[in-house]
Amino acid sequence: MTEPGRRRLVLLSLLAALPLAMAAGVALGSVPLPVGRVIASLVSAAGLPPWGAPLEGPGAAILWSVRLPRVLLAALVGGGLAVVGTTLQSVFRNPMADSGLLGVGAGAAFGAVLAVRLGWAAHVFLALPLAAFVGAMAAILVVYLLAHAGGRPSLQGLLLTGIAVSALASAGTSVLLVATEEFRVKTVLFWLAGGLEGRGWTHVQLAAVVILLGVTLLALLSRPLDVLSLGQDEAASLGLPVHATRLTIFALAALVAGAATAVAGSVPFVGLMAPHALRPRVGPLARHLIPASFLGGATLVVLADLAARTVSDRLDLPLGSFTAFVGAPYFLLALRSSEGRT
Amino acid sequence: MKRRGHCVAAALLALLGSLADAGEAVPRRVASMNLSADEILAEILPAERLVGVTRFADEQGTSNIVGRVRPSVFRFQKADMERLVALAPDLVVVSEYTDADFLKLVERSGMRWHRIQGLSSMAGVRQAILDLGRAVGAEEAARRLVERYDATLADLARRLSGARPPRVLYWSGEMTAGADTAIGALIECAGARNVGREMGVQGITPPGAERAFVADPEVILVSSWPGIAEAVTGHPLLSRLRAVREGRVVVLPNERLIALSQYTAEACWDLAALLHPDRVPAKRP
Repeated sequence: MTEPGRRRLVLLSLLAALPLAMAAGVALGSVPLPVGRVIASLVSAAGLPPWGAPLEGPGAAILWSVRLPRVLLAALVGGGLAVVGTTLQSVFRNPMADSGLLGVGAGAAFGAVLAVRLGWAAHVFLALPLAAFVGAMAAILVVYLLAHAGGRPSLQGLLLTGIAVSALASAGTSVLLVATEEFRVKTVLFWLAGGLEGRGWTHVQLAAVVILLGVTLLALLSRPLDVLSLGQDEAASLGLPVHATRLTIFALAALVAGAATAVAGSVPFVGLMAPHALRPRVGPLARHLIPASFLGGATLVVLADLAARTVSDRLDLPLGSFTAFVGAPYFLLALRSSEGRT
Repeated sequence: MKRRGHCVAAALLALLGSLADAGEAVPRRVASMNLSADEILAEILPAERLVGVTRFADEQGTSNIVGRVRPSVFRFQKADMERLVALAPDLVVVSEYTDADFLKLVERSGMRWHRIQGLSSMAGVRQAILDLGRAVGAEEAARRLVERYDATLADLARRLSGARPPRVLYWSGEMTAGADTAIGALIECAGARNVGREMGVQGITPPGAERAFVADPEVILVSSWPGIAEAVTGHPLLSRLRAVREGRVVVLPNERLIALSQYTAEACWDLAALLHPDRVPAKRP
């Protein structure tokens, strides 16, 4: 098969996989809902001709208030994180780059723990995700200011500043956790471990605005991203304003990752795994890799969330654990196979 | 014309009245997502109106109502919104720490909620019982429960009057209870001084073993949870405390120590009996 043909096949497969995963996510859950009536409800809501009796009563409430927003949010979070990973890997020219390098996760965690420690999370609607988002943005800002204190930083300087700021934010989080009442700690542990329980349409709306806008703008920057992935000197010689482009990409990536982390907590490995798995199949060009990563990441997180809420009757297992359960072995296998080739 | 005006006014008043009644409707189906509420509701609510409790209600060593809730009542294994909606309660009782985003989803799913809170003092627990009774339309049963609670505490206060309060340090996995904690309130209610408060600890936090050692408590309070007492007696520094060397490590059943309900008064009595055996009998007469 030719390369464009293979790429088309992969993209079509991903386009089919995401709706299927979302359908499974909507149809399955801790309360069994008849699949036919779930479909009838969705068909009826879409204004299509009737397709059987839609759900009513508690079933309808579960579908529309709980399950559907959760599945949509999982898709947004997964897609957003995967695109952030894709773009940062191009900028850093490193397949291990993800939003953690910019201090997003650590900053969001600090904001979330602060909101819980101060009691905002229990009493103010959206306090937890908003505090996490502000924390993530604050961390990014600190990384930017510190890195630029001595002029324009190198990529390595930016990366090391990000690591240092992450460590500082994590240290602050630890101090806050130790000083926080143990029942409150449990609340924030659920967020830190990643999860979508208790998220509704407002979370979907807020996340959708930031994530979809950010992902679209990053996709529009596909060409500059490809030029940047050649290296700083090569990009400059091709006339690209390297510093400004890089800053724009970092800002957009931070917004998307901050929004995703704010509503879902820590969901590791998605930003690494999706682009890494898809790059050999659709090629390294951002205009192909970004949409493929979005679809792949979204499918992955929808399925991981489905597993997290259905595997155990006793516990909602952390979403972040599931992505790590899949991501860590994947990376070890990928590492072994790449070592075998060299 | 005037009569028609009266009719409209009467209809409006009736409508407003029915709306007000609807606003204060007694919940017929109550779901509890908090162990304290499980314990209180098991006592004050007619069994048929309780539709859900936490799985902790059946856990030995955690719950004071093991075997008291009918098997037909749903057990929440986790904070599961889908199960909650499927149960269709008209009131959901949540904890002090339930986050506001979850509560918004409860509201949007057409349910009311009541937050049980203020449980870090004896008076706070008393008030929480009354508030919950009001929320579920069982004021009278809640008032009777509070009378028993008050009577236990009054009897205890009478017996402990003039007793020298021992200095007690709560210890659990490097944590102690300071000011504004239920365990601190329990220690003080049982006729003792809370060393955690003396050390300036706020909430339940780890003060460090060295500070605990220097504070030199007369008694160490631990829960009956496996390994907790052993962690103190086997600790390189805490094992050298006078209280430990002289065998003054008192163990309170875990379900009593963590009770934040009417059982808090009984926990208070049990702890007082351990600290003041000469004044307080193990069983309340």
